[in-house]
Amino acid sequence: MSDWTTIQKLLVAIPALPLVATMVTALLGPRYLRGKSHLPIVFGLVISCVLSLELLRQLNRAIENHETGIGYETTVDLWTWASVPEAYDGSGSRKTIGDSTGRLITDVHDASDSSGPFHIAVTLRADGLTCIMLAMVTLVALLIAIYAVGYMHQDRGCWRFFTYIGLFVFSMTMLVSASNFVLLYVFWEAVGLCSYLLIGFWYEKREAAAAGTKAFLVNRVGDFGFALALFFIWTVYGTLNFHDTQNAPGVLGQERLSSMQQEFGRPGESGEGHPRGAQDQDVRTGYVGGGIGLAICLLLMLGACGKSAQFPLHVWLPDAMEGPTPVSALIHAATMVTAGVYMVARCTPLFAVDCAPYLDPRAVVATIGGLSALIAGIIAMTQNDLKRVLAYSTISQLGYMFLALGTGSLVGIIAGMFHLFTHAFFKSLLFLGAGSVMHAMGGVIDMRKFGGLRRLMPMTFWTFLAGALALSGIWPLAGFFSKDAILAAAYDVGHGEAAYASLFLWLTYAAFLTAFLTALYTFRAFYMTFFGAEEIPAEAGHHARESRPIMTVPLVILALGALAVGWIFGQPGATKSGFAGVAASTPSLAVMVHPGYRALDTAAERKSAAERKSAAEKKSAAEKGSVAEKGLHQDSHRRVAIISLVLAVLGIGIAGFLYLGDAREVRAIIQWPVMKQLHRISYGKFFFDPVYWILVVLPGLALASICYAFDRWLIDGLVNTIGRIPSGIGRLFRNMQCGMLQTYALWMLLGVLTLLGSAVWHMW
Amino acid sequence: MAEAELDLLQNYLTVGAIVFMLGVVGLIARRNLIVMFLCAEMMLQGVSITLVAFSRFHNDWGGQMLVVFIIAVAACEAAIALALILMLYARAGKLDAAYWQEMREENVPPYIDREVPLERLEERRWPDLAPAGVAPEINEEEQSHRSHV
Repeated sequence: MSDWTTIQKLLVAIPALPLVATMVTALLGPRYLRGKSHLPIVFGLVISCVLSLELLRQLNRAIENHETGIGYETTVDLWTWASVPEAYDGSGSRKTIGDSTGRLITDVHDASDSSGPFHIAVTLRADGLTCIMLAMVTLVALLIAIYAVGYMHQDRGCWRFFTYIGLFVFSMTMLVSASNFVLLYVFWEAVGLCSYLLIGFWYEKREAAAAGTKAFLVNRVGDFGFALALFFIWTVYGTLNFHDTQNAPGVLGQERLSSMQQEFGRPGESGEGHPRGAQDQDVRTGYVGGGIGLAICLLLMLGACGKSAQFPLHVWLPDAMEGPTPVSALIHAATMVTAGVYMVARCTPLFAVDCAPYLDPRAVVATIGGLSALIAGIIAMTQNDLKRVLAYSTISQLGYMFLALGTGSLVGIIAGMFHLFTHAFFKSLLFLGAGSVMHAMGGVIDMRKFGGLRRLMPMTFWTFLAGALALSGIWPLAGFFSKDAILAAAYDVGHGEAAYASLFLWLTYAAFLTAFLTALYTFRAFYMTFFGAEEIPAEAGHHARESRPIMTVPLVILALGALAVGWIFGQPGATKSGFAGVAASTPSLAVMVHPGYRALDTAAERKSAAERKSAAEKKSAAEKGSVAEKGLHQDSHRRVAIISLVLAVLGIGIAGFLYLGDAREVRAIIQWPVMKQLHRISYGKFFFDPVYWILVVLPGLALASICYAFDRWLIDGLVNTIGRIPSGIGRLFRNMQCGMLQTYALWMLLGVLTLLGSAVWHMW
Repeated sequence: MAEAELDLLQNYLTVGAIVFMLGVVGLIARRNLIVMFLCAEMMLQGVSITLVAFSRFHNDWGGQMLVVFIIAVAACEAAIALALILMLYARAGKLDAAYWQEMREENVPPYIDREVPLERLEERRWPDLAPAGVAPEINEEEQSHRSHV
């Protein structure tokens, strides 16, 4: 341990502290700490947060010092979890796949060295993506934990809450710093468990328990896909480490890339050169494409859809709002739901393969993202529950992130991660503001039941305003920069010459529409809550006042974040230590500017070709960093920025026109035939729940009741029948035991006579 | 010689069997604890007679030795059994074995003895003579006394 570098020490300490704090709280909480259960967790998170920021600084310095190679990463091996020698039988298992599904693999190369060990090490890694996520997670978690001290102070299960929060932060930090798919999966499940426990935190409440179960079950669908993807990856590649893993700390260098290509097939060679490769292999990146590549990507995307609440599997997130509000802010807005985005970004090289003649996985990702963004935006328009509006808004913003990842360009992926980063600030701010309102209103969250709170709760009002403006994408708040970058990336692809250009063009229009809707529904909620006549529900009682400083201070800090992070990190001309520079230093992303990387749109390809040339000339990582920076804000994107800004302002204006005052116009508009139908669909949440009820739940229930009947009547009946035989025989002889001595003596006599009789009988 | 011996043995065995069967029948038929105990003793003695007879017949004194043991053991057994019967009597106030029938199975109905019809005092008629002569002096005390005889 002593020979570890500072980065490695920090990397281990960041998850370790919340784990220790969790154990302390779990052991001492119920007996000794009780109302003070937050102390170990908050203490651990403070240190973790400071260490994360320090890690980011160290990483920055390391990136600057490493001039050569592609990207920067450091790994730290803790111990070996599992190691099975000769586990990977490449030829045999590959043949099976090819045979059973016919077209997935067209040709299998049999090679002598196709076997390999199954080696799972508990390895943590530090690279740009991880460090950004670590800093974001621990900072937001710290602020929300402090807020929760005030929010949960009356709850009996205080220690339970903080134990779960600590466990969650541990799992989440491990998730983002894990270095192979198995660890990722383990902590993927662990954060899902924490989510389940915290949604059902108030388990006496029926809805909360049901929502927890729903979240868990819907996530099972996604996790099933994720697990299948892992099996596929193992079968195809023979390793579950992230493919850019390098054991020695340092740089993913040219040698590593070439060895990777040697491993997975050298460009342009055929036959002997790529032992594990199929013909579908993308010769330029070394990753397997075709049907298998597409299957891996789609299954990974299914997992991401479950965790990040995207279009087919988004139904659990709005219900998850039954949990305590700090949980909604931390897990279901800022951190856990972004795990899917993180995972897809982490697997960028897998998604970048050429899957011809099948679909392009990135188009699928982008379509799901764009659809989710639009659908959730429409649903959020008519919800009356403040937290649910924010939940749908989260789905919508996550859809933006997937759209950005789906563009497949480095600029787009960095924009997606940047949106993830800024979204964490303003969405947790909005949720905490909603929690503050809910706390003051005695648990009432229906916006129709309160209003005009701006004088009553000035701090909440101003911070919520900051969050709402940031979410709407008003310059110069956080949301503007990240959303603009996403729109620009999508716009670029849409106006490029890629195969999916027209699709991306439509997705860009959908994203613009969503941007307008975002501003509209955010300010609808804002006006309904804080403007109009002051109205306080009866449940509020004496609570109806501004929250205590322990709750408002995190709000203010987050509001400052929502105001500033976009400006600070998203500015053009920032150094390579800015967000884009750090993110682009991640090896799996940095490899995209390397020759051999296939961009989706030809315009970006031309651009990256130019980058390549300049990179080749100057051979400096610094240059690459600033190229990535320039990519975020190009002059040609000013038009996109202006359109989105105008749309946002328009949305806010229309929301003000409609919802300030007595909302007469809204009632009038709803009477229009088209709007009436639209309102019905939106209010019914696109009828996902009833459709799933009929398609999934009812067959499940039917099957379950058949199984129940089978078990109850057939299996139990058989077992009980067999059980009844001895007791039936026993019942025959019971009547002999009548309690009369004489009868016993008579039976005894008869018994002796029978024995004697049989003895005599046998003698003859 | 052998014929006479065999006849003698048969007589003894017959007596033994009769004593034993009397004991068996008595044990099954009677409910008085003491009588039942006596019947059990009788079965023992029936066996003893048989043993002695065979012992004599085979000219083997082991059987008679065994009978001496049986008598000793029966004495001990009698002491214990009578003590037990005494305790049962002290508890129940009666010697009826049917009184101790709680240890039957749950769903088996209890044995209820046929009820002995109660004597009805007022219907009891005493022999009387036709009234003649002077009415005897009725002694109240004697009257009441007689009615309770």
